[in-house]
Amino acid sequence: MRYTLNFDEVNKASLPAVGGKNASLGEMIAAGIRVPPGFAVTTDSYVSFIAEAGIKDEIFKLLSDINPEDIVSLNSASAEVQKLINEALMVADIEQAIREGYRCLCDKCGVQRIPVAVRSSATAEDLPTASFAGQQDTYLWIEGIDEVVRSVQKCWASLFTPRAISYRIKNNFPHEKVLISVGVQKMVNSRAAGVMFTLNPVNGDPSKVVIEGSWGLGETVVSGSVTPDKFVVDKIVMEINERTISPKNIECVYDLKKGEVVHTDVAPDMQNKPCLDDKEIKELVGIAKRIEEHYGSPQDIEWAIDKDLPFPENIFTVQSRPETVWSQRRKEPIIGKKSAYELLMEKALTSIKIRL
Amino acid sequence: MATEKIARFPDPHEFKVPEELAGWEEMYPSHYIFAKERGEWESRQFWYQDKIHAPEPMPPLDLIFQEAWQISLAQYTTRVFCIPPAQGIAQRMVGCYMYICAIEPPPPEIIKEKAELFGKRVFYVFEHYNELWEKWLKKFQALGREMAALKVPQELPKYVPEDQVLPAPRGYYASYELIEVFNTLVSQMFKGWQYHFEMLNLTYLAYLMFADVARKLFPGISESAIGKMVAGAYVSMFRPEEELCRLSRLAASYPAIGKIIKRDVPAEQKIAELRKTEDGKRWLAELDKVRDPWFYVSCGSGWFYYEGSWVNKLDIPFSYMKSYVERLDKKEKIERSVEEISRKRDEIVAEYRKLIKTDEDKKSFENAYKTVRTIYRYAEDHLFWVEHWFHTIWWDKIRDIGKLFVKQGMLKEVDDIFMFNRFEVPEMIEELVTGWALGEGIPLRGSYYKEKAAKRQKILAAARKWSPIAALGIPPKEIAEPFTVMLWGITSDKVEEWLKGAAVVPEVGTKIKGFASSAGVVEGTARVLKLLEEIVTLKEGEIMVCPCSNPAWAPVFTKIKAAVTDIGGLTCHAAIVSREYSLPAVTGTGVATSVISTGDTIRVDGDTGVVTILKRAHK
Repeated sequence: MRYTLNFDEVNKASLPAVGGKNASLGEMIAAGIRVPPGFAVTTDSYVSFIAEAGIKDEIFKLLSDINPEDIVSLNSASAEVQKLINEALMVADIEQAIREGYRCLCDKCGVQRIPVAVRSSATAEDLPTASFAGQQDTYLWIEGIDEVVRSVQKCWASLFTPRAISYRIKNNFPHEKVLISVGVQKMVNSRAAGVMFTLNPVNGDPSKVVIEGSWGLGETVVSGSVTPDKFVVDKIVMEINERTISPKNIECVYDLKKGEVVHTDVAPDMQNKPCLDDKEIKELVGIAKRIEEHYGSPQDIEWAIDKDLPFPENIFTVQSRPETVWSQRRKEPIIGKKSAYELLMEKALTSIKIRL
Repeated sequence: MATEKIARFPDPHEFKVPEELAGWEEMYPSHYIFAKERGEWESRQFWYQDKIHAPEPMPPLDLIFQEAWQISLAQYTTRVFCIPPAQGIAQRMVGCYMYICAIEPPPPEIIKEKAELFGKRVFYVFEHYNELWEKWLKKFQALGREMAALKVPQELPKYVPEDQVLPAPRGYYASYELIEVFNTLVSQMFKGWQYHFEMLNLTYLAYLMFADVARKLFPGISESAIGKMVAGAYVSMFRPEEELCRLSRLAASYPAIGKIIKRDVPAEQKIAELRKTEDGKRWLAELDKVRDPWFYVSCGSGWFYYEGSWVNKLDIPFSYMKSYVERLDKKEKIERSVEEISRKRDEIVAEYRKLIKTDEDKKSFENAYKTVRTIYRYAEDHLFWVEHWFHTIWWDKIRDIGKLFVKQGMLKEVDDIFMFNRFEVPEMIEELVTGWALGEGIPLRGSYYKEKAAKRQKILAAARKWSPIAALGIPPKEIAEPFTVMLWGITSDKVEEWLKGAAVVPEVGTKIKGFASSAGVVEGTARVLKLLEEIVTLKEGEIMVCPCSNPAWAPVFTKIKAAVTDIGGLTCHAAIVSREYSLPAVTGTGVATSVISTGDTIRVDGDTGVVTILKRAHK
């Protein structure tokens, strides 16, 4: 049993131990896809923690009493469970393992107190059939070991938000079976960041990669607080078919002094500039193709471009998960089996419409 | 009270052209003019300027090609293969520019009748394309050779030669020969154009069918990606360039010949020097072997008399061979690798195919692709034989008649013959041969024709300065005519853009739209080449802006950064070659050469088909 595993030690088979998100990062590293370095705090840590901290029985007792239709009871049970987890003293062995993992990461990056992202990585989340992505919390720009440990606990607690609890009850997921792992990963100090899909989410076109991005950290894109630039790229002939450059008036940056992420105004001359150049767009599409190829299914990928590193080492994949909407829908033939004769007849009988 | 705004262009009968163009109507046949008697029908249609085939003001005799295609293109759609909802494309002249219109669909009962005939008639062509092509080529070459064999009398002799009279009179003489030769030239031109569309309508239909299938499976797929999957077999159209490469290699392998080819002197002089040595003679003999047909390639689109062809502008192929020999000296590769191009195309098709989820869709994609690939080469092959080879033969013969006109005092310059339409030339011939037959001292109306030619040159020059209105009449609700969709790219967006109207005034920030023919974005200095001869001015790394390119221009593409053309869709020469060399290209802008000036800084966005003027060279 190990409390932590480095990302380069994990793969798909490690999913029960490190959850979907972390397993996927390991897979990507194995496939030669650049991701920020880090390690996973395993589900074993979580299991040991609630057992050894002596809060396990109390947690499941609280949960079993919930009436999911009653919001008040749901909210108060959630709050109590989270409080139990957050306030329990961290188990010494686990803390030691996390400390060791963080120290290695600092050494690797050559930075003391390296800022990291601490993210939950649930074993049920992100599975193609059970997308409840975003239900667990993510803590960014965490510096120093004590903060890291505290954030790990917060992630564990986030398994019991009212939403997560009621979702599981409604879908008959036993609370005991849902385990959680946490990823601790170097923060990318990004000049631009965003998401990309390996198909066009608007119409399901599998020949496209759609990239959305904005200045600064990826939060503005993910949260929708800025209308991002959008690029639609044909991933086979590598043509940029569409570029929509939007006014990106705010960006998220990490404020060193305050030690937190702040929203700042983007300089007026930068607002309408594309946040990616063609070279970067094509590099991202290449990465998207590799990731999709690797998983054998359409993906939804978070990416970031580091401020300091040179191209193309500055381009990171932050995470990748299966695209769930079109991947499940597209089982029906679009055209159906037709002969050249039928197709020609059809074309010959139709005309194009002019709309004015 | 709010009035509903009807989206329409001026009524063609009310539209006025600038005063400087006064007299333009008489340059063209009467059926090309908008007229009150059929005014109701004409007003109901949608007429747009044909920037693909007639971007420039139309010299009257050059209208013959347009006349010929108007008949031929339409008849294959309406009477031969019977594409159900489609009718033909009608033409009209307005102020020396040609306007065309995809005619509204026929009544439903006709569509039904045609659908039955269509189903019966077209599949033979798809199933037997290769053998049909062989037959087509044979008969087309025979027709061209017939035209080439026509003899235009070089003079009207004072007395006919003795051998035409003794021992027995031949029975017909120079007067008839001149009348006949022009009539025959006209008939052959019409016949050639009847052949031109033999499989072209179906080729376009097949392309549109495949494009539809591709768009259903990959909704955002670009035209240029579809073009990349379909194009690439160009057997005939690229042969002239291949022959140049071959001759260049041969020249480079004999240092003495290579040295002559590399000199900075006119082709004439190089040929004279080559004649002095045995090796030189052998090389010239090799050139002569391929001269017909492969040097019968127009330096432009093949649509205008003033463009010329390699065979009568030898400086152009010789200048290419000069640069090829120089590159060979540097051990560079000059040939395009057809295998490499085919391999890349097959890879692209396989990648798209792999993305299709169901077997049923895969099958449809394959069926559609196989069909379009079988027939598509026609779109590229016919072009060389008709617009280039056949037209070049025509120009030569017409100029022979022009020479006779000059000799006999009917015209000042040989090329003035192109100032008269094909119905007027017979009148001039008749005037000439009548005078000859009548005897000595018969005055001809030479000065009348000379003045007329001069006046028409002036009108055409004025027309060139005018920016014609994009369209006339009422935009249609739907279009079924395959050429209109594919070749002219008439879409909602295009019509909308025209409706916003206003002639383009070149200024910084002006955007010109065309086809996104080859991906990529670059900025650079524009070099506007109206004619191929101007190519010598082009500098390495400039952006070429030209009316349209063809294989005669091919060597230029190794020097430039991007290409912009007035004419041409996604499968035009500039588009194909730009994709091969990975240069951004925007084609079919209609106006680039008139709006952009040499020295302007422009941005060519081959992904979206937009050219932007960033900085003007001169105010």
